[in-house]
Amino acid sequence: MAGAGFVLPALILGGLVLPGAVVAGMTARLLRWSVIVTLPIAISVAIVSILGRAGATVLFMIGPFDATLEGVAFAAEVALRLFVVAMALALFGLTTEPRALVADLERRGVSPRLTFAAAATLDAVPAMAERARTIQGAQRARGLDTEGSVGARLRGVLPLVGPAILGALHDVEARSLALEARAFDRPGPRHLLWAPPDSERQRAARWLLLAALVALVVGTLTGVLPRLP
Amino acid sequence: MRVVIAATATVVAAVVGVLAVGVFEPSPNPDQLPPGANLFMFLLAAALVVGFVAYAAIEWLQTRRFESITRQFDTRTIVLIPLAIAINVVLGQTVASALKVPLYLDSIGTILVGVLAGPFAGAATGLLSNLAWTFLFAGTPFGSPFAWPFAIVAAEIGLLAGLFGYAGVFRSRPNTPPGKLLAGIVVALVLLGALVWYGILPHYAKLCAGQPGSGGSVTSGCLDLFQPIGSIDPVFLVVAVAFLVLLAVTVIVLAVRLVARRDLGVVYVTVAGAACGVVSALIAAPIAAYVFGGVTGSGTDFLVLVFQQAGSDLRTAVLQQSLISDPIDKTITFLVVYALLRGASRRVTVRFPQGERAIGTVEA
Repeated sequence: MAGAGFVLPALILGGLVLPGAVVAGMTARLLRWSVIVTLPIAISVAIVSILGRAGATVLFMIGPFDATLEGVAFAAEVALRLFVVAMALALFGLTTEPRALVADLERRGVSPRLTFAAAATLDAVPAMAERARTIQGAQRARGLDTEGSVGARLRGVLPLVGPAILGALHDVEARSLALEARAFDRPGPRHLLWAPPDSERQRAARWLLLAALVALVVGTLTGVLPRLP
Repeated sequence: MRVVIAATATVVAAVVGVLAVGVFEPSPNPDQLPPGANLFMFLLAAALVVGFVAYAAIEWLQTRRFESITRQFDTRTIVLIPLAIAINVVLGQTVASALKVPLYLDSIGTILVGVLAGPFAGAATGLLSNLAWTFLFAGTPFGSPFAWPFAIVAAEIGLLAGLFGYAGVFRSRPNTPPGKLLAGIVVALVLLGALVWYGILPHYAKLCAGQPGSGGSVTSGCLDLFQPIGSIDPVFLVVAVAFLVLLAVTVIVLAVRLVARRDLGVVYVTVAGAACGVVSALIAAPIAAYVFGGVTGSGTDFLVLVFQQAGSDLRTAVLQQSLISDPIDKTITFLVVYALLRGASRRVTVRFPQGERAIGTVEA
């Protein structure tokens, strides 16, 4: 039981994700990002499950908490699974230009309004981060308390959040006028001037991955493959 | 009318699903997750979809159009959604890092869209927000590969915020006469009490704080508030006291604001936020337990550990943790949005599809 939970994620990591990363030539970046993202949550998992999980083999005790071998095994399993998830998604994110993804979704029939929202998000997030930094600096200059008691810091939430959101609401005005002036509301089909490069082999690989996904889901539901804990 | 039928369809679908699969069988091994936990999640999500389809189908039959749904997605809303997602992604990080307070605050944008544009737009924002977080920003500093499992929770928050906005919960009610104010507070307290009593406490019923450190095998379950304090482990005592102090401070701050402004709206928003928090905790906890072994990587994970040590199995411990932190977080977020909407210029807010309904026509 304890072994089964490791095999499948390890297989996916070793058989699909790592070769893909090597082919794409970004193994180092991929590993770095995945470790950074997974580490905090893995530490949390380790503390909670090693100390909190009941088990027969007690390793050591800290205060009222006893560390068990079963907890260590469970933590390792969850951490491995999360790491594989992070790796797979990072491989996708680093090799796929988000704008290309969104444009291709629209080409395949997703509503242009939806794809506009997705594409605009790509610009909006860094812009909002920039704005948040500006606001934070401005409020600090006006004496925002970031060091004091919890109550004082809680009172800082509104000065930080408020300008960002009110600014965004005002932005909506200008942007929707600009869009409407460019026939955003016009019904009917759109013509995209760009299509992502595609090949026979990529198409075959996509179908293969889709089939693998279906097989995985069916296998898990019917109990052929081990269920996750 | 359509809403009633859709709600009925959702409930029926959930009940049929639960009956068909027999989800809530007690797990044979209390140490592991009940096999039905993830299934229950799935059923709840499926029931939501069924409810939505029923709603859309009935509207189609009645009017041959999807007017009430598409109306929520006008140009203005479509423009607001990306900004709202950016608010979700960025503000959570900024507030947490700048002020060092243990709040998620990652649903301000979702709630904002829900209130201003409507329930469906809110739900769409929540969904898109968590999907973008995972798939559009993977590999960048903003990305988080662990957000997508919670997309359904974000959708639920947006949906509820939209419904509350439609019901006018976010309207400002300044200078309410004292008698009415008092009555409102009493009703709110009763509602909150009922929420705590029926929504939260049952999940702690099996928790026996008297037997810590016994490896989590508590057999005689009890929630005895009056047991001698000496028999409780100091760790739990500290947690309990800290929690009570936090609660008391919140109530006092609220009361002061209430009396100073005599604004009954605050009371409504508080109740709505707490209700939303309880629902999201119920949906989110199985996901956290199943996918992440019960943690979210934030400070609240310590509570999971404490509850587990007190004898709950993992899933129950996660639920108990969520039921403490989620209502508090959502209540604060709702209050923040409420304060912002009062601060925003009416010229801006009333132009959104649900804006006038949500803000009300009374001058603040």
